[in-house]
Amino acid sequence: MARKRGRGMAACWYGIARTATIDRAAAWAEIDDGGSAKIVTGVTEIGEGILTVLAQIAAHEIGVKPEHVVIGDNDTARAPEAAHAGASRQTYMVGNVVALASREARQRLVDVMAEMWDVSAETIRTGNGEIWAENTNHRISMGEAVACAKNRGVVPIGSATFGTDTTGIMDGKGGDGSGRPWQAYVFGCQVAEVEVDTITGEVQVLAVWAAHDVGRAVNPQGVEGQIEGGIVQAIGQALMEDYQLNDGHTSTSGFAKYILPTSLDVPRVNSIIIEDPDPIGPLGVKGIGEPAMVPTIPAVMNAIYDAVGVRVFDLPATPEKILLAMREKARREATMAMQAAE
Amino acid sequence: MVDIRLNATINGRKVSRDAKPHLRLLDFLRDDLNLTGNKEGCGAGECGTCSVFVDGVLMKSCLMPVAKAQGAQIDTIESLAKSGELSVLQKAFHKAGASQCGYCIPGMVMAATAALRANPFADREEIKERLGGNICRCTGYQKIFDAVELARDVQNGRLPATALLETDTADGEVIGKSVRRIDAPSKVSGRLKYAGDMTMPGMLYVQVLRSPHAHARIVSIDTSAALAMEGVESVITSADVPGKDGFGVFVHDQPIMARDKVRYVGEAIAAVAAEDALTAKRAVAAIKVVYERLVPVFDPDEAMRVGAAVVHDYAPDNITKHIPIRVGDVEAGFAESDLVIEENYSTQAIEHAYLEPEAGLAYVDHDDVVTVVSPSQNITHHRHMLARIIARPISKVRFIMSPVGGGFGGKEDMIYQGMLALLAMKTMRPVRLVYTREESIISTAKRHPSRTTLRMGVMRDGRIRALAMRMVCDGGAYGLSTEGVMRKAAILAAGPYNIPNVRIDTFGIYTNNTPSGAFRSFGALQTQFATESHLDIIAERLGLDPFEIRRINAMRDGATTHTKQKLGSVSLMRALDAAEQASGWEAGAPAVRGPTRGDLAHDDVRPSVTLGARFGADDTQEAAE
Repeated sequence: MARKRGRGMAACWYGIARTATIDRAAAWAEIDDGGSAKIVTGVTEIGEGILTVLAQIAAHEIGVKPEHVVIGDNDTARAPEAAHAGASRQTYMVGNVVALASREARQRLVDVMAEMWDVSAETIRTGNGEIWAENTNHRISMGEAVACAKNRGVVPIGSATFGTDTTGIMDGKGGDGSGRPWQAYVFGCQVAEVEVDTITGEVQVLAVWAAHDVGRAVNPQGVEGQIEGGIVQAIGQALMEDYQLNDGHTSTSGFAKYILPTSLDVPRVNSIIIEDPDPIGPLGVKGIGEPAMVPTIPAVMNAIYDAVGVRVFDLPATPEKILLAMREKARREATMAMQAAE
Repeated sequence: MVDIRLNATINGRKVSRDAKPHLRLLDFLRDDLNLTGNKEGCGAGECGTCSVFVDGVLMKSCLMPVAKAQGAQIDTIESLAKSGELSVLQKAFHKAGASQCGYCIPGMVMAATAALRANPFADREEIKERLGGNICRCTGYQKIFDAVELARDVQNGRLPATALLETDTADGEVIGKSVRRIDAPSKVSGRLKYAGDMTMPGMLYVQVLRSPHAHARIVSIDTSAALAMEGVESVITSADVPGKDGFGVFVHDQPIMARDKVRYVGEAIAAVAAEDALTAKRAVAAIKVVYERLVPVFDPDEAMRVGAAVVHDYAPDNITKHIPIRVGDVEAGFAESDLVIEENYSTQAIEHAYLEPEAGLAYVDHDDVVTVVSPSQNITHHRHMLARIIARPISKVRFIMSPVGGGFGGKEDMIYQGMLALLAMKTMRPVRLVYTREESIISTAKRHPSRTTLRMGVMRDGRIRALAMRMVCDGGAYGLSTEGVMRKAAILAAGPYNIPNVRIDTFGIYTNNTPSGAFRSFGALQTQFATESHLDIIAERLGLDPFEIRRINAMRDGATTHTKQKLGSVSLMRALDAAEQASGWEAGAPAVRGPTRGDLAHDDVRPSVTLGARFGADDTQEAAE
């Protein structure tokens, strides 16, 4: 049969948030008129779904529905700093700080209601747009509670800052690299199944099973989206993408020459979400954006080896390279067989 | 050229307008009619985000001259949710989580609409084929396929319309639930405005002159002819920078436009602001630059040799950053090992290929605040750097982060925002710059190409005793994130394994190639590719299953990392177990077992594609064709 299948696996680890420096983020929260929540923080969606994650976190902490959370724009003149959108840090840094700011805003509201109802603040619960005191018949909407607070001269707001307990590493002259670059680490493992066409050399990645620790999945569909997207980007690097330069001039300045994975190139991705909560942050969350693509390439290369017995050491594993390696392998084996016969 | 009178029906309304004959249909829709829902991703018919219906047929509007639309009926993404009510397909995209950055999504929704019109019962494999002309860089396509299948089933009555609704959170618990994305409705309908969709009254159009040389001294720049042109408001070069020029994520070695010399092909040299884009392009062509070619260096290993051309005077050895990691005595570790294996690995330069090319808008507001709106991944740091470059107090510099149409690290660099700010200050008018795809590819950062030598020593039972790795990366012409990439690459290089003796060195090197910078997985991808390939090579030699060799060496709770950090909980064993079980992995040494494995082609594996030139399909596939 001209097409041969094989499987390979690889593991990975990754650090969450900025590397070998102290990371930080801040947020403001307000429980607004009508019982909605307003969150302002220096963060904008780059596609990963952070706005939805933050809405869920604020909703969870304050006790409103996610669709009743409004998130302000990222603007250095209007929002507190949450630093950059990268380093797999947004859910960890910004998610945690939004939780803390939301808790403070909620506490302001709870304190007002506790005084009004003459109950202990600890007995007050919020959820689903309502606020109530346990074992009493006190229960009103969050909107009504905000009106009560404002009638008493209180605007229920909160703010927070979240920083990491990390250090640089000793990487100067003579250094050994020691240090605490991150406070949260994630681990993962992927298995890839490939089919190699032994006549054309083409590799298709048919499936990837991806198990990743994310601390706590705020939005499982979003986590899957990061895993699926990361794996497909990695498959692009594994098999086809190649920015070419000749004396500094590129010959791949468009998508006709710079080949990207399309709908027919992608495997079925089977994601397994592992939750090993971060003990430091208030939510237990970690991150997934970058680690998702780390084990894919070696898993695919190990699978190609499993299928046809050739290993690609220099990426990408184009059909030409696979064919060449297979021919060399056949020649080597023929020579060995001849030598053995002699 | 004389304008043409275009009569067409656009989104159900008759339109009769004069249009410039050189326009593409996409320009006419976006610029003249302000229908910015469909985006430009490549300008060459390759990505599909500009797809519209022309007389009911899916067309790439970047490939169609506007005159060809004479008398046609044109429907854009805006036609699908006219009164704000999303179509079934758009709702399915929302429900399935099919949009991430959203920039490809208008075209993807159009293509998917066309697919289900062509075959309302299309199966998943046919859906994939019908979406083959549309590129998405974020999602990995899986949730897009899910969305189209969901819409198909709702349209065909196989699923109730309630299948499109929000996940139930009536119990009040919202964490851990797949709440629908709050930004999806604006993305599936094309309503979200990216920087390139934004306009301001009185706005000028910016174009950039770029270097044709990899390494050359700039003898002179003559902008007088460009400045004299009608419609040109301003031409800037590095001579116009009022403050301390230089940006970069770790070292501020890159001027906002080339200063004294150019270091890579595509580097910005001058920028023009004019009344329209065509005038700006003509003005760019009228700028005269005299260069004196310098000897370039393109290979990082050559660049490290004595006597190589020097890219930056401050780094005479061309080393941007070297990161060392040292644990134990690596030579003693190799000496006591039963088996020592060394191999070389290399990885290529990779383009981020976010579907949204760089774009930005800048203006000086009523309080004299220099404001830049752009899809920047790091407005905090950009504000710091720009304030110094334009010599204004930080309170008079403002960055607004527009929705990012894909970043992946590529939009962490302040590669064009400086030019925009300067032109806004010079003209006191809003200015906008939108890169072409080609400009984006030639001038912005890539993933670091790497060459790695990895040597590992193990005992017969699979325990790793020593690891030595040396990786040399081509950092290109400017520092950008190279220092950080080298650091993360080194820290994570040896993988999550207990190894008593470790020596790792990563080097980021200046060359005259396109700069390398931040890219999702930031160096760890390159080093762990080598380590994880190497473990399989060793496992085969030792007759160990790949999971087994990793378990033997896996970090456990309380492990100490190679940077001597003590960890708490380590979830590696859980990840290994989960992947092994989910995949139904058949244990055995990785010795080309493919032909004899019993764990292949489960239900959770997609069928192989049989499109195109294929040979020797097996019997099953032939039967299916």
